[in-house]
Amino acid sequence: MLGAAAAGAASLMHPLSVLAQGAEDIVIGGSIPMTGVFAFAGVGINAGIQDYVKIVNDAGGIKGRKVRYVPEDTGYKVDVSVAAFKKITSQNKVNLYYGDSTGFAKTINPELDRNGNILMAGASFATELNNPQKYPNQFLVGPDYTEMFGILLKHIAKEKPGAKVAFVYSDSEFGRDPIDESEAEAKKLGLNVVVKIMTPPGSVDVSGEVIKLRRAAPDYTIFHGYILAPIPEFITQGKQQGMTSKWMGTFWTMDSSTVMKMGPDGDGFMGVMPFRYYYDTDKAPMLEKIRAMRPEYQSTAYIQGFVAAMLFLESAKRCLDANKPMTGANLKAALNSIKDFDTGGLIGVPITIRGNSIPVGRVYRADMKAQKMVAASDWIKL
Amino acid sequence: MRIGTLKETYIADAALFDSRTQKAWLAVAAALLVLFPFMASDYWLYLACLVSINVASATGLNILTGYTGLVSLGQAAFMGLGAYTVAILQAKVGTPFLLNILAGGVVAMLGGIVVGVPSLRVKGLYLAIATIAASFIAHFLFANLQFTGGTGGLSVPPASLFGVPLDTSFRLYWLIVPVTILMLLGAANLFRTRIGRAFIAIRDRDISAEVLGIPLLRYKLLSFGLSSFYAGVAGGLWAYFFRVVTPESFPLLMSIFFLAAIIVGGMGSILGGILGAVFMTMVPELLKLVFDLLPNSTEYTVFLSPVRTIIFGLLIIGFLVFEPHGLAEVWRRIRRFFHLWPFRN
Repeated sequence: MLGAAAAGAASLMHPLSVLAQGAEDIVIGGSIPMTGVFAFAGVGINAGIQDYVKIVNDAGGIKGRKVRYVPEDTGYKVDVSVAAFKKITSQNKVNLYYGDSTGFAKTINPELDRNGNILMAGASFATELNNPQKYPNQFLVGPDYTEMFGILLKHIAKEKPGAKVAFVYSDSEFGRDPIDESEAEAKKLGLNVVVKIMTPPGSVDVSGEVIKLRRAAPDYTIFHGYILAPIPEFITQGKQQGMTSKWMGTFWTMDSSTVMKMGPDGDGFMGVMPFRYYYDTDKAPMLEKIRAMRPEYQSTAYIQGFVAAMLFLESAKRCLDANKPMTGANLKAALNSIKDFDTGGLIGVPITIRGNSIPVGRVYRADMKAQKMVAASDWIKL
Repeated sequence: MRIGTLKETYIADAALFDSRTQKAWLAVAAALLVLFPFMASDYWLYLACLVSINVASATGLNILTGYTGLVSLGQAAFMGLGAYTVAILQAKVGTPFLLNILAGGVVAMLGGIVVGVPSLRVKGLYLAIATIAASFIAHFLFANLQFTGGTGGLSVPPASLFGVPLDTSFRLYWLIVPVTILMLLGAANLFRTRIGRAFIAIRDRDISAEVLGIPLLRYKLLSFGLSSFYAGVAGGLWAYFFRVVTPESFPLLMSIFFLAAIIVGGMGSILGGILGAVFMTMVPELLKLVFDLLPNSTEYTVFLSPVRTIIFGLLIIGFLVFEPHGLAEVWRRIRRFFHLWPFRN
């Protein structure tokens, strides 16, 4: 406790610590969920950011400036995330920040606007954040949830025009996010949304919902707002009842290790992925670099963190190249100047960031025999 | 040397602050609270505001659980009612923020009275489970009513005083801390009144209390109402502090947090509510600071974070095992030591 008191007293004197830091460092702060319900992703995100920062620093930094990554664990709680933000920004001159949730992104937004010196991205793909007017200092590292649905629907419309589609989603902000807009989008594409089923986020017994789903007999069922449960229950029971639907998911369900937990019934499970998988054999120099650094499998959350750091530092580089101070507005403008940018193959096509998202992704399919996700479509741009 | 407090009248005996030493220390504490925002960083100001909100809510729960003996796991739901009321009034009606906070308290109080109805028939764990229903019903309403913004929730414009927006921790400190102090004084005074003593009588033995002429339903509902009012006001302050209110902002876990706070701090003691809320909010942060002192701690965050969580859990268990009467009792023992020194130690 004495140590804590001493540390507390020291950090009360924040202006000194801010002045004491190297003025030239580019600082990436991070509210990272390394414990709690989202730790499975947070650990990967942390490693991804850490590795990209190391690669940049080993190559001499950005225009001679070192990059410093300052993470704090949040346990995936908004108040702890905000405390981490305040602590990190009090003790460092932060330029870039990684946030852990939609709740945090929304809560911290007024602070970002007021601060004016930080560009933020994070683990959230909430559609609401894809609004440059309302969230001028933030961006999404990939498509928003509605765009993820859009990519899946585009794939379905191409594969089976006029197909019957079902949406199964959790009763949470995460789950409900893309549903209404995606239903309208499906209509536009000539698809028929035959049923929408909402379940509690942690539901286990879904037999009633499966019966409802079987009656609707969709050609495709898209799950959203879950990580794993209750998707395997839906698929197993649906298959037992003779359903022939193709099953699909969105980003947070689509990590290889998550899908493989579905067991044999998960064979053929498809979903949208904005990034390449760790083991993809297509030409991707950055992926090769990652594999050389870390020989064991790295999750898609790792790749997401890595790409976030890459885009952060590309924005910083462009700002410095243009001799502009690294303010939130300048960093965002630099980010939006990115056109046909090569992520070293982590995203399979060159990307252009016009607003707050990167509306591109690919449909992958689970091959349980090979224990891998394999490409089921080309890269789809919206 | 002070070895006791001489009281010559009943009024002196019932005084809120009973000695000159205590008054002097309170004056020092007040001075420190005034000086704190001018010395502290944004991080510490943030924590001070958060602690203050948690103290207000924990004190409310202490009135209900610590003083009246009615267990509740609905505190977060009542905070949610207060927060949503404030958010709606501020964003859609534009009424003054103090009125909004008061309205938040009143709406939560009405909710609390409704939820408290089963308290006449059920007690203890049964009542706790009954109050859990409040969390689920509140969550359902927040997520499904149109004017609550659905699952996306509501953004709250900052409170403003004479045209100055209260949008930084520094500015909010001057709203949150004084309101919490007023609520603490209110709670402390409550137990010098007939109503407070009735609550204590109900806690100690409700049948005897009824025999003494205390109408149980009225007082139990009053206790629920007061406790929820505190939660509602705390929720209103929370809404101004975080500026976003969503259905997921007030989970059941938050109610457990407040229950844990009053158990760790000491039930049936105003100081207990304060110390418990401070402990539950600050210890994880202080552990972070301790771990930051380790060399290269940033690189090992991924390993240190779970260790910190485990240590926090062990500290709670340790307190419950070695001091079941909570931190307030530890504080009382320390005070007693100084009062009696050197005659007894």
